[in-house]
Amino acid sequence: MKFVDEYRDAELGRALSAQILSLVEPGRHYKVMEVCGGHTHSIYKYGIDDLLPENVELVHGPGCPVCVIPMGRVDDGIAIARREGVIFTCFGDMLRVPGSERTLLDAKADGADIRMVYSPLDAMRIAKSNPDRDVVFFAIGFETTAPSTALTLKRAKAEGVSNFLCMCNHVTIIPPLRALLTSPDMRLDGFIGPGHVSTIVGARPFEFIPADYGKPLVTSGFEPLDILQSIQMILAQLAEGRSEIENQYKRVVPYEGNRAALAVMAEVFALRPHFEWRGLGFITQSALRLSDAYAEFDAERRYEVPGVRVADPKACQCGEVLKGVIKPWECKVFGTACTPEHAIGTCMVSPEGACAAYYNYGRFAREKELV
Amino acid sequence: MRVLAVDDERGLALCTDGQGRRETVEIALVLPVAPSDELLVHAATAIAKEGSQ
Repeated sequence: MKFVDEYRDAELGRALSAQILSLVEPGRHYKVMEVCGGHTHSIYKYGIDDLLPENVELVHGPGCPVCVIPMGRVDDGIAIARREGVIFTCFGDMLRVPGSERTLLDAKADGADIRMVYSPLDAMRIAKSNPDRDVVFFAIGFETTAPSTALTLKRAKAEGVSNFLCMCNHVTIIPPLRALLTSPDMRLDGFIGPGHVSTIVGARPFEFIPADYGKPLVTSGFEPLDILQSIQMILAQLAEGRSEIENQYKRVVPYEGNRAALAVMAEVFALRPHFEWRGLGFITQSALRLSDAYAEFDAERRYEVPGVRVADPKACQCGEVLKGVIKPWECKVFGTACTPEHAIGTCMVSPEGACAAYYNYGRFAREKELV
Repeated sequence: MRVLAVDDERGLALCTDGQGRRETVEIALVLPVAPSDELLVHAATAIAKEGSQ
């Protein structure tokens, strides 16, 4: 398949692996963070860890949109979903994210009309088919997904679909990266930049990472050779004493981003003063709400929600996993009390979550090592 | 996903993935779009044209 097969060539993979080996200094430990959950998934799926020298460690970042939703927001969603006459819609993996007591799937089993959709456009179609009911879309995701919500809201406004509402949980990638870089318990050598977010925002917003913190960032695609080449580019920068933004994913990422997407986002959304991230706490200007021009579509303005901050369960260490402080298998409940079937933490729910990715693809290799 | 047909009036395209599945995709962010273009699609919205950079 075009744009896929050529990025899975084993011979080229071995050549890149050899180049990576030639770039590392023996005795130095390298920590490279993959920001995006899609990269985490690919790394485990394709066993990219196994192609790296032992002293190159990949650290998983906060870029899984489902993983960073705090329990209180799930409770708020459930409160709306339980209202008479509401059809509540969300992406499939969001259904299984635990709130303080229940998941959306539990609420659906209790009788709430909660439906899984593939896109906000699907949710709007449901609204058009049910003009006598309010249809609420629980919007999540980084800048990759936010334009889709924005375009759908524009469409709803243009077509007068007034029973389509949005509970906006979109987040932005730069503020948590800043928070991580200023965290005293985090020492990183470089970043694999989020490829799909970068198709929207471009590479420019990441310039502060080399400029202020002296760390290289390489925007990367998601196929195995993309990721290997990006690691090679980061290590080459470190070997040459450079720290720059480089773009490995040139086939889709323009340096300036997608202007049409940025324009529609600016029209439909406004920055929230602060937003709670699971594991990371409140981060200033790190999330989006609907702009005043789209207030009529804002579910949080239409309905009262509890808005209560809920602490994560004590056993769950998603926060440390999201910050890259611990590996998934170092969590006390990983693979025992917490599995994809019965997740305690969000990182075990989404396929992009580090715990789910590791559980699905990596744990058997590790069990073999331990034996 | 590969574009099969474009509905300019509604700003939508019929696309297919590698497994032959078909999907209607919002194309406002990547115009102009023509049949056989390869699109990067997220949540039924094309966010980039592959190979266009």
